[in-house]
Amino acid sequence: MIVVGGGTVGYYMSRDLLERGHEVTLIERDARRAEWLETQLGSIVMRGDGCEVKFLSQTGIERADAIVAVTADDEDNLIALQMAKRHFKVKKTIARVNNPSNVEIFKTLGVDEAVSATEVLLGALEPPITR
Amino acid sequence: MRPFRSASDQPPGSPAPRWVGAGALPPYNQPALKLLIVGCGRVGSQLAAEMDRAGHEVVIIDRDPNQFSRAASRGVLTNDFKGNQVVGNGTDADVLRRAGVEDADGFVAVTEGDNRNIMASQIAKHIFKVPRVVARIYDPERAEAYEKLGLHTICPTIEGAKAIEKTLLEKK
Repeated sequence: MIVVGGGTVGYYMSRDLLERGHEVTLIERDARRAEWLETQLGSIVMRGDGCEVKFLSQTGIERADAIVAVTADDEDNLIALQMAKRHFKVKKTIARVNNPSNVEIFKTLGVDEAVSATEVLLGALEPPITR
Repeated sequence: MRPFRSASDQPPGSPAPRWVGAGALPPYNQPALKLLIVGCGRVGSQLAAEMDRAGHEVVIIDRDPNQFSRAASRGVLTNDFKGNQVVGNGTDADVLRRAGVEDADGFVAVTEGDNRNIMASQIAKHIFKVPRVVARIYDPERAEAYEKLGLHTICPTIEGAKAIEKTLLEKK
């Protein structure tokens, strides 16, 4: 599994996936954040830009069964996953989206699964609050 | 310096001259286009001003309202700009819809972020079916990848380097 983005979501996801026995590579762009992640998770952390083909090719992406993009920027998640799909033929691409209307847009643009935390939280309010 | 005289050389409000040349007003050789420009930096504002002066319907979007006043202070998007300025995120489909993407003839993404430009352009092309879409992508690798996927891309890194190289190698 490849996880793009080592923020809070990416960190806990990677930790969980490791505990479940998966082989994980966590990609983080910021050097200081990557250093901290490495102290927590070990050598699975790679510092670099998950949207760059050259960098991705060094991450073992060809062997990945799935790639999950969970940065805070929808556009970065989209481009990382499109690169993974089109260049490296990764079978399953999963995105975190921040803007709920991007769920459908991402699917149209070739992402297999798009999950909106905003939408999940709104769903938790169902049945809708009525006055 | 403008290579040809055009209607845009006239002060605003004066009647369009009949002799216009290469930079002709749209009514004489083509209908006015509805254009959406995402990113009001140097390129975006320049393009917006030029297309507006040439008689096209321009909407320019930037998430930072200060970018419009910055362009104005550079003398680019001044009071005579007849187009619309929209504050908002150009990768947000609702913002684009409000800016009129559904009837746009052309769409240009020239923000600072390659990924933002790619995403905005893909939304315009594949969701809203805008007929002409252009994305600026600085990273040559990304530009090539998306050009192959059918996105019309401009890579200033490659084009700029080529132009400089050509000038350097030109015989005097």
